[in-house]
Amino acid sequence: MPIIPPQVYSPAEDTVLLLNASLRIVSPSDRVLEIGTGSGAIAAALMDFGATVAATDINPLAASYAYRRGVPVIRCNLFEGIRGSFDLILFNPPYLPTAPDERIDDWLEYALDGGEDGRETIRRFLAAAPAFLSSNGKILLLISSLTGIPEVLELFADAGMITFAVAEESIEGEKLVVLLGMKDLCRAL
Amino acid sequence: MKRWLMDILCCPVCKGDIVLTVTEENEEEIIEGTLRCDACQVNYPIHEGIPNLLPPESASE
Repeated sequence: MPIIPPQVYSPAEDTVLLLNASLRIVSPSDRVLEIGTGSGAIAAALMDFGATVAATDINPLAASYAYRRGVPVIRCNLFEGIRGSFDLILFNPPYLPTAPDERIDDWLEYALDGGEDGRETIRRFLAAAPAFLSSNGKILLLISSLTGIPEVLELFADAGMITFAVAEESIEGEKLVVLLGMKDLCRAL
Repeated sequence: MKRWLMDILCCPVCKGDIVLTVTEENEEEIIEGTLRCDACQVNYPIHEGIPNLLPPESASE
């Protein structure tokens, strides 16, 4: 593969943590959707594992890079333009709290900028995601302690889901966590 | 774009069906074409193998 362009998020600790967590729970018969695939590293690894994977990204440079490595990619905004149900939905979202004057005006912004509280995109993702889960479908969402872990757990609960932390790693003053969310089938919504 | 992706694609605005027109393809996939939503009267492009389902007002690069 050619080198990853500067405006596409390059795999880092968070990518590896989410990738390893997803390899632990995915099964080869799963239909997988990765939102915001970036360089496509996770999607490609799950395809190698045998899962049926589709991926999205809003960044044209990311979509084109992931496509060139063989990932079936759709350029769209979160779930807009997607239908159907999936056994596993992955998202390494933009999770960094970002003040308006800290914004960088380029495509990498979409990979990093979580809005002022760090949860803007996560909020939209979790509001939409349950409708795309199969009955036992799972969400794997990577976040950081900077994003506000209790607040994100609350957003999962608001979306009618139960959560488990399935992986974590401390790096340079922040903690990365992978949350697994499932529809709470005992709860009448 | 692999043909099976049609199973999971819809209009990003009305969520309705979209109609595929292929202008270039190979054995594996569709390279160029359009995905049209008749209800919204919008054509979404497939270019260099990638469907672009960003609504028209946000599709600028």
